[in-house]
Amino acid sequence: MSIFAAAFGFGLVSMSVIAVAAVGFTMQFGITNMINLAYGQVMISSAYVAYYINRAGVTIWVGMIAGAVFGAVFSFLLNRLVYAPFQRKGTSHIGMVIVSLAVSLMLANLLLPIVGYFSVSYQEHAGNLVRLGDIVVTNNQIAIILLSVALMLGIHALLRYTRLGKAMRATAANPTLARNCGIPTQRVIDMVWLITGALCGLAGVIAALNSDSFVIASGAGFLITALAAAVLGGAGQPYGAMIGAVIIGLITELSAAAWSPEYKEVVAFGVLVLVMVLRPQGLLAKRGALAAAG
Amino acid sequence: MKTFHARMRIGSAACSLAFLMLAACGGGSSSGGGLGSGDLLVGVLAPFSGADAGLGPAYYAACLAAAPAINNSGGVGGRQIKCQQFDTRGEPADAAPAASSMIAGNSNLMAVIGCTSDEASAVAPIVDKAHIPMFCMTGQSEFNKTNLKYFHRLVPADIYDAYAMVGWALYGPSPAPFHKAALVFGNDIGSQSFVEPATNAFTKLGGQVKNFPITLGASDYRTEVTQVIAYKPDVIFTEALGSAGTFLGEYKTLNGGTVTPFIGTSATIDPQWFKQVSDSIGVDNLVKNYGGVDLGYTFSGPAYTEFQTNLNAAASQFADAPKYKQRGSTLHLYDGIIMTALAMVATNSHDPTVYNSKIKEIANGTSGAMVVHTYKEGLDALKANKSIKFEGAGGANSFDDHNNSVAGYVLVKYDATGGEVKVKELTPDQTSKISQAGGI
Repeated sequence: MSIFAAAFGFGLVSMSVIAVAAVGFTMQFGITNMINLAYGQVMISSAYVAYYINRAGVTIWVGMIAGAVFGAVFSFLLNRLVYAPFQRKGTSHIGMVIVSLAVSLMLANLLLPIVGYFSVSYQEHAGNLVRLGDIVVTNNQIAIILLSVALMLGIHALLRYTRLGKAMRATAANPTLARNCGIPTQRVIDMVWLITGALCGLAGVIAALNSDSFVIASGAGFLITALAAAVLGGAGQPYGAMIGAVIIGLITELSAAAWSPEYKEVVAFGVLVLVMVLRPQGLLAKRGALAAAG
Repeated sequence: MKTFHARMRIGSAACSLAFLMLAACGGGSSSGGGLGSGDLLVGVLAPFSGADAGLGPAYYAACLAAAPAINNSGGVGGRQIKCQQFDTRGEPADAAPAASSMIAGNSNLMAVIGCTSDEASAVAPIVDKAHIPMFCMTGQSEFNKTNLKYFHRLVPADIYDAYAMVGWALYGPSPAPFHKAALVFGNDIGSQSFVEPATNAFTKLGGQVKNFPITLGASDYRTEVTQVIAYKPDVIFTEALGSAGTFLGEYKTLNGGTVTPFIGTSATIDPQWFKQVSDSIGVDNLVKNYGGVDLGYTFSGPAYTEFQTNLNAAASQFADAPKYKQRGSTLHLYDGIIMTALAMVATNSHDPTVYNSKIKEIANGTSGAMVVHTYKEGLDALKANKSIKFEGAGGANSFDDHNNSVAGYVLVKYDATGGEVKVKELTPDQTSKISQAGGI
């Protein structure tokens, strides 16, 4: 079996997981101007919601929906009850980042006594192995790839072809002008938190399903990967985040095969640093659907 | 310096008088005489967050169980034992300030427990400099011949775990003997300390071995698993605390539903490890393919009974405490705290520079020493002017010149409920052969 072909297959799965998380993260930033460092903790919290539903005997695919709903509602409330009041008071960007970091730490520590220190797994059979030459993936992983592709197409359709998508883009480009043009920007922002929160919740469950087992500390890892893909693609650019996910996902796994798995994240983040040096605004800045950033 | 034995020579009446006078003074003398007053603190310096967050609670449970064992018998000269967590996050950079602030903020520290391989190198010198006896749960070889006087280790160094695993592979029950081993340990310095002795011993005794270090806490190990499968081992040596579930689950998936036999360190004899791995690969696969090495605990006797009773009672303070009833580190640290308390009573001193050396004497025993199993038994014997040897919930101890206590190993498996089942004991000849081959 060619280790590179196998790693390419794993990279496809990884990039699918990262894409869902990164697109949600970058849309949140692009439209609401909020770098939400609690994103990873919301992901892992959603994964635990799905876990408890799954433990009750319900299939993880239903649990995944519950995770998405939790992510949406929680993110919406997080913005309304925590972030928005700070923003109304004129808290600076860096101040908001610190607020989100505080939320992340509080969430992690609140969850700890509930879910415990130890790793847990979904009670879901990984499915049969599917071999495409030397590429080996499970049925579940194929489902994750297909789900991710469907979500990306859905996001594309939302942003390009719906009134809400156009309102989002307008709000991202210039919220004051959008409001003056009659766009209910507050409702648009609420919808953004619901949609990106749902993506965040879905990403958490998908990542946990793909990972076989997960712990509360996994949230930090989820955030870093999503953040890396989002920044690589151009902060606030959903299509950039998709490309960033492809690059991070594939490079991580292929470098593990070529060199040593110990250094796969070093290589991936090395590429991120290199891109940032050559193109600080990211790969797709000012060219994506949400052109405000960059 | 007034020692227990010195007072024995003076006579029991004078001893009792001196004891009462010193106790009444409330301690604080520069010579360390008297047991002092106020609560005594056991610092649980260990990871309570981060990748190894599962370790700290096991040690905290040990303290919560030991405290009533001492307090219910009148404490240490009337002083009650309290337990406090000091989170190292499993990182030396966080551990060093945690240790410093623990020492600076608590003048009543009687002992420190925890200090795992994650942070022992960083914190042990700090605690030693403060002259606080510590019981560290690290297997790192750097402590094999340590000069830190206040360092104590009640678990064998990792090299002995590694040798015992090699013993499983070569002399264990069927399907052993194995000939081609994959080593799957975390890529941190503590986890990798198993690799060299296992590699030396296994290769010199005719086996083939390859190291596959993994990053603990990663979200997946598919590439690493693919490389291990391509190596075609007939056995896997592992520990991979916190990540074994993910690794072995992916191994099973990518290996067509089959799990290669795997041998775990003594740290894998743990209810949480059992749960993680059984959730991932299924209980049947775990029971069938797992072999572990352990220190031959009996989980019975008066010391263990008291330990278990106190551990169950500790659930009111820490709900998970009873889960650690068969965890080696919890048993040993429980014993360490009790031995320290007995050392304080035996020396009639709250000064660690006085009672520290007594800990070893109480653990190893001296000629004619009375064997005691609980704090109360020890206290009664000391009051009767007897020399004692403490054999606690974790069994007998034997400290060497560097305060490392080494005991013999047994080969074990899990039953379907997560209970430990002894399957074989390594003979002295086998152990010697492996140690010589390991050569460290």
